[in-house]
Amino acid sequence: MTEQLRESLSALMDDQASDLEMRRLLGEFEGDPALRQTWVRYQIARSAMAGQPVTHVRFDISQRVSAAIAAEAPTARTTLRERWMRPLASLAVAASVTAVVVLGGQQLYKAGTLDAQNAPAIASGVSAVGFVNSLGAVPMRASYGAQAMPQLEPAARTAYRELARQRMYQYMQEHAEHAALNSPQGLIPFARVPQIEE
Amino acid sequence: MKYSVRQLACGILCGALGWVNVATAEQTACSDADTEALQWLSRMAKSHSEVAYQGVVTLQRGDDMQVVQVARSLAGGVSSEHLTRLTGQGAQVIRANHPLDCTHPGEGLLTLGNRLNEADNCGLARHYQFQVSPGERIAGRQSMKVEIRPRDMYRYGVLLELDSETALMLRVSTLGRGDKILERFQFADLNYGEPLQPRADIDTVHPAAHPHPDYPSNAPQLSVPWAVSWVPGGFTVTDKASPASARRTYTDGLAVFSVFLEQLPQELKPGEGLARLGSSLSYTRGMRLAGKPVLVTVIGEVPVNTARMVADSIRVLHQSAP
Repeated sequence: MTEQLRESLSALMDDQASDLEMRRLLGEFEGDPALRQTWVRYQIARSAMAGQPVTHVRFDISQRVSAAIAAEAPTARTTLRERWMRPLASLAVAASVTAVVVLGGQQLYKAGTLDAQNAPAIASGVSAVGFVNSLGAVPMRASYGAQAMPQLEPAARTAYRELARQRMYQYMQEHAEHAALNSPQGLIPFARVPQIEE
Repeated sequence: MKYSVRQLACGILCGALGWVNVATAEQTACSDADTEALQWLSRMAKSHSEVAYQGVVTLQRGDDMQVVQVARSLAGGVSSEHLTRLTGQGAQVIRANHPLDCTHPGEGLLTLGNRLNEADNCGLARHYQFQVSPGERIAGRQSMKVEIRPRDMYRYGVLLELDSETALMLRVSTLGRGDKILERFQFADLNYGEPLQPRADIDTVHPAAHPHPDYPSNAPQLSVPWAVSWVPGGFTVTDKASPASARRTYTDGLAVFSVFLEQLPQELKPGEGLARLGSSLSYTRGMRLAGKPVLVTVIGEVPVNTARMVADSIRVLHQSAP
């Protein structure tokens, strides 16, 4: 295993891997037993550090995941909508990848297990505010939120971060239109817009 | 140069905009310090309709610095403004023929200071504490410093440095926890009363929108009417977006955030993501609403907890409900 791969692997573990790195690593995983073993060792080490029982570490990338990754390969020309939806697709991929890559799956939140009876009027899958501190938030009490936000696996977290970044580009101008009229800086909020569109 | 200005008939539209709801304000006694600061804020808000200028403003966010030229002219009861990027993209934003008596909710919140004695409420002082002191010279002008600290954790602090004569904002610093400067706008050069100078090297000219509740919006409509059921105290909606519109925007007079809802074509693993740029935040949450997957994004100049709690509070509106 090259040093670069090892670094990419740590990056994936630390939730620092770029989309490209993730894609490449998943490709490498398939044909490299040593890399898979390293990943498993990293996972065991992390679980041990987190005080979690280290049992049942498996590694498998199914055909389904490989297919999902292949299907998500970028095409030469994409429409605006496709561009904005891409992180969603990669999130779906990330979800399926983590479902098979990570420890036994016990920490995983499974989509579709929400209580449908309670779902209609209330936003579900929401956090008890203050529980999730992974984003540097200050713990605090609040009366909103129905259940704890599941700890996301690295790949899904990477995809969500990318989603947030792209939404900032997508929505900043519309936000600035209103900020310009409702904050004291005049047109200056437009200076925050990454790319001003007509 | 592309130049397609869609002039809105501001004069007709503006009359109904000053609806800021302050009826829920608690009765609070204002300290002298607050009163002085609120009067400065009020003067600052009103300087929009009193002071014509042009100048160069820098925007600092971490290591990134942008430079823009800004200008405002006043004539015949209307103002015309423009902002031109001098670094990066060759773009200009213009707002022409904006009536001077057209006030939006954000400005209404800032000018509450005028009505202190009548209403006996402190407006912004319920959510921020203030301190006014003489400031340094900025862009060749003597400044007055207004330190604004949040009373809760739902908003950032602001350090305003205003022209001591005109109350025009000379420097605005947004302060995060530990008074860390997240973002800073600052006039590097300022001249009062000079006419707008047209520039030739512009690729993109964007006429700023002028949203109004009665103006037919071509904004995307969702199939599910929804509502934000919690915002921090002091925040009010900036325009009356329809319950099915994809966006809502809120302001407390100083900070602004917008909430966007997207209905997703496929199931999404629930989760959240965050991106920051200066004081701006993009908080994205994948969740289910009325059994359907949605993506909620909060964009604005507020701390992440505020964004998360706002996203948490989104509810479906049942149209049949009484």
